[in-house]
Amino acid sequence: MISKLYTLSDAIAKFVHSGDHIATGGFTTSRKPMAAMNEILRQGQTDFIVEAGPAGSDWDMMIGAGRVKAYINCYTANPRFSNVSRQFRAAIEEGKLLFEDYSQDAAMMMFHGAALGLAYVPVRMMLGSGMEQEWGISKEQRQQIEKLPNEKFMIQDDPFHPGEKLLLLPTPRLDTAIVHVQMASPDGTCRIFGDPYQDVDLALAARNTIVTCEELVSDEYIRREPDRNSIPGIAVAAVVHVPFGGHPSQVYDLYDYDKEFYLDYDRAGKTDAAFEQFLKEWVYDLEDHESYLNKLGASRLMDLKVVPGIGYHVSDESVAKGEMI
Amino acid sequence: MDYTKSEMQAYTIAKMIEEDQVVIVGTGLPLVGAIMAKKMVQPSCTLIVESGLMDFNPTEVPRSVSDLRSMAHCGATLPPYRYLGFQANELLKDSKRLIGFIGGAAVDQYGNVSATCIGDYHHPKTRFPGSGGANGIASFVNTIIIMPHEKRRFVAQMPYITSPGWIKEAGRAGTGLPVNRGPMAVVSDLGVMRFDEKTHRMYLAGYYPFTSPEEVQANTGFEMNVSRAVVLPEPDADCIRMLQKIDPDRIYLLK
Repeated sequence: MISKLYTLSDAIAKFVHSGDHIATGGFTTSRKPMAAMNEILRQGQTDFIVEAGPAGSDWDMMIGAGRVKAYINCYTANPRFSNVSRQFRAAIEEGKLLFEDYSQDAAMMMFHGAALGLAYVPVRMMLGSGMEQEWGISKEQRQQIEKLPNEKFMIQDDPFHPGEKLLLLPTPRLDTAIVHVQMASPDGTCRIFGDPYQDVDLALAARNTIVTCEELVSDEYIRREPDRNSIPGIAVAAVVHVPFGGHPSQVYDLYDYDKEFYLDYDRAGKTDAAFEQFLKEWVYDLEDHESYLNKLGASRLMDLKVVPGIGYHVSDESVAKGEMI
Repeated sequence: MDYTKSEMQAYTIAKMIEEDQVVIVGTGLPLVGAIMAKKMVQPSCTLIVESGLMDFNPTEVPRSVSDLRSMAHCGATLPPYRYLGFQANELLKDSKRLIGFIGGAAVDQYGNVSATCIGDYHHPKTRFPGSGGANGIASFVNTIIIMPHEKRRFVAQMPYITSPGWIKEAGRAGTGLPVNRGPMAVVSDLGVMRFDEKTHRMYLAGYYPFTSPEEVQANTGFEMNVSRAVVLPEPDADCIRMLQKIDPDRIYLLK
């Protein structure tokens, strides 16, 4: 079998291009491919057409760094740390971002439809809402963006149930997907633990999928229990072994979110100068992910470890006390 | 009083959940209320969330809908599109067991909620995170809306609707939305509002012991019928202790 194993730098350089129609896996502050996002920031790719899904600081950083040409969104926040992501909010309020709103349900159906090879998905959400009435990206603007369909959606009578309305969602034709998983093998086979979110759909829909993994195991090992695997290797272009590659987000079974890091990110988002300083300190001044981990330090990372049986991080004292709600 | 406004609101949320109901709960105060329901007030309920976590019962309060605190020990971790199928297919069943809690920045007198923006959509004065799962929940499920009670948040008309309520006086007919689903109530930090069956207008159904119909009206941006309002029961000491145990760091409960 062919090894698809890359360094993070090589995988991003080969498969992420300026202008790509791109999506990431994970959900706000969970299993986000943050190390890959940092590497894109360092390498300089820009002008992305983004299908953001349930986004957090993955796309908020890219918006703040000016890398997003069109932002197809449904929700952008690091809940309870930044209840609205600050770069996203500022860019829209200041009129600096071309954006479009769908509901998250619509986004998920669009990803799933794309994974199934469907041209569009008929649904009944968004009807009667602002998302039906207002188009963030107009038809004229859409005609100028080759990767986006000319219509945000179309409305049609349900041919099978006369009198009922359907909203037809176009499925995205993704160039690139980036997902962070718990386990992968060199041929690209992936195993996701816990909620898969939209990640399997993205991997099956995109022309090129980059997988970053916490644990790299042998092709033989991951085949011992194929029923536990989520993505076949043939749907993956590159595999990168990136321990703690989801930090500061949480990764089921392994580590929790880094609350202090998210709070620091939130504070940094309050001014342009502080945000630029944050990116300089945590992205641009660091050569690679290994330097990032060294800067965080071993004890800080150990302090995020999920406690087996509990499922998230708690202190040793809490484990001993055993008291929970 | 020996409880806070926020504790009263969370307790009221818990009491809204009925036997055997399946409850879609996102983040915010509804999480505290729903966890309280599950642990104490209405243990027969089942909690689910839009990321696909079905039947969760957290031992520490989650911060997001995808939190490990909901994922650990839940019944099943479905991909979100499967959750959406479940949400839509409940319409085909002769049952109203599914309810959902949604929040937002503002609500109008017909229960239409905005979680997207204040001001012009294209050039907003304030931009919020966006729909998340709320639009789908509001479209297909009977909802309970959670909102801080302020004049600027209880408005006569909603320029941009993120989560559709009853739309207008005539209701949902013609929109393409199910006409027999919509907001059942609004729980604020001043009381519980419901919707008139004929006019679909919000009215005050109940208020807390520490407030009054006059205070509710003074903090509402439209005329609210208060003629049907009754005083709501307050939590006992055990309930208050439980709420404080659920959210000891006051992530959702205000101080």
